[in-house]
Amino acid sequence: MRQDWRIIGLFIGGVLVLGTIVGGPLLYSIKLSFYTAASFIDPPQWVGLGNYVKVLSEPLFWGSLLNGVTIAISAIVLQVVLGVTIALVLNRQFVGQTVVRALSIVPYFLPTVVACLITQWILDPNYGLLKSVFASFGYGMFDWGGNSTSAKATIVLVSVWIWTPFVVTCVLAGLQSIPGQLYEAARVDGAGVMKQFWHVTLPGLRSVLIVVILLRGIWMFNKFDVIWLLTKGGPLNETETLPTLAYRKAFLEFDLGGGAAVATISFLMLASIILIYLRVFPIDEAKQGR
Amino acid sequence: MTRYYGKSPKQIAGRVGLYAAVALICIYSFFPIYWMILSSLRSPEKLFLDSSLVFWPPDLSSYKSLLQLTNYPANFVNSVMMAMATIAVATTLSSFIAYGATRLRFRGKTTLVASMLFAYMFPPLMLVIPMSALFRIAGLADSLWGLLIAHLAISLPLAVWLLWGFFKSMPFDLEEAAMVDGCSQFGAFIKVVLPLSAPGLITVGIFSFLLSWADYVFALILIMSDDRKTLPVGLASMLGAQDLRWGEILAGATLIALPLFVIFMFCYRYFVAGLTAGALKG
Repeated sequence: MRQDWRIIGLFIGGVLVLGTIVGGPLLYSIKLSFYTAASFIDPPQWVGLGNYVKVLSEPLFWGSLLNGVTIAISAIVLQVVLGVTIALVLNRQFVGQTVVRALSIVPYFLPTVVACLITQWILDPNYGLLKSVFASFGYGMFDWGGNSTSAKATIVLVSVWIWTPFVVTCVLAGLQSIPGQLYEAARVDGAGVMKQFWHVTLPGLRSVLIVVILLRGIWMFNKFDVIWLLTKGGPLNETETLPTLAYRKAFLEFDLGGGAAVATISFLMLASIILIYLRVFPIDEAKQGR
Repeated sequence: MTRYYGKSPKQIAGRVGLYAAVALICIYSFFPIYWMILSSLRSPEKLFLDSSLVFWPPDLSSYKSLLQLTNYPANFVNSVMMAMATIAVATTLSSFIAYGATRLRFRGKTTLVASMLFAYMFPPLMLVIPMSALFRIAGLADSLWGLLIAHLAISLPLAVWLLWGFFKSMPFDLEEAAMVDGCSQFGAFIKVVLPLSAPGLITVGIFSFLLSWADYVFALILIMSDDRKTLPVGLASMLGAQDLRWGEILAGATLIALPLFVIFMFCYRYFVAGLTAGALKG
């Protein structure tokens, strides 16, 4: 096939634009992390690895890393368990299946802000729905943002509500690829429902689940908006994660270099995970998320 | 219910259990959204007292004061402009890139596609911290043009990734047939490939819209003036205000979600198609 110069031109143009607006900031972020800028106006000073040394020696950095990992892992475990359960129910035949499937993925497409505002409203200490429910049982409303566990739990539960539909959709697609004969064979061998799940369904979903866990894990680890909108990293940095720490440093403490260093460190950690992912699932297979 | 004649009690119990589970899933998925809409339609006097589940008769006073007393209408216009521009540019550019990546012969194709995957797993702060500094230098601080660049930076990699999969699965024969008939490759791309890719382009359009419409992080950091804010940031800032006006906030949240519900109803299958292709970072 003869190559058309217009196709080549548009392709190169597109790649240049994409490279500039994504690659440019990326490289500049790495550059910033080697400089210190007291303000946005002053010329930055080269400090070499100074920002990294400073950041890595702060207990807050390690606390944030631990919080981020804790939140991400709890959210993923719940999402996968709940997502597989919901998918197994929605995979059965029932009246209104299409409508219910559609309804069940609505939370995924809701802007995070909306989901967080609904949560804040339901959990409002004075007028929230949860307070009324508690009051009708004779209990008072607890201060959900006031201690580490309930603040983290709120973030995890809201994240699970929003992002479980991703697991449901991928698992529903994955279930189609398990041949029905496998279930028949298992039944002939006398396997009950639970045995069929463990020996046929789960192994059949293996690759889907690996992809889902990796993707959701990475995105959850990068999450800024849910945490910022619900707790702002509080109480006392108990829900601070690397994204909120990077934000706090760069825009509230005006330490752009420090913020860039935190962002670069989390990027390097994720990049190594993604490289492993690409090694395990080369591009062509990775395509359909299975 | 004649279908249940001749079924064992165990089977009937199974059906009842299934429908109970389905009902639970519906309540779990939709109740919070219903509660938001319901609360937004209560009159201000009843909002803090009433916790019944019926909203009839609806009271629109929260919507009225939202539209009359706050920056919401201006924010709405900004959000619509951002979303439209993101859809237009992201869809066009990504179709050029993805088409070239599937049809041109060059080294490093896999690297290009793999880097798309990389790009949409970036920590957003890795992009927004340098952007805020770069835009300041370029005179794009506090500007919707800067925000558009940011929205393109998050939606383009995803769009290329989606369309790449789409063009790759499209047989070359169609274009070759057109080219035998005297069409150039560019002509074949415009007249044959793009029209046949409508489903892929719609999916890309929808997901670019979602990323721009729902973006909070970039708008929070890159925009300062109240009248340039987009909906998510404008609305979230009402939460920090002295007097918490829950009626207006929930009315605003409902109005952000409304366009999504409408698109969702008409384009459900494209949402699912994009979702299973690993689309939309969440």
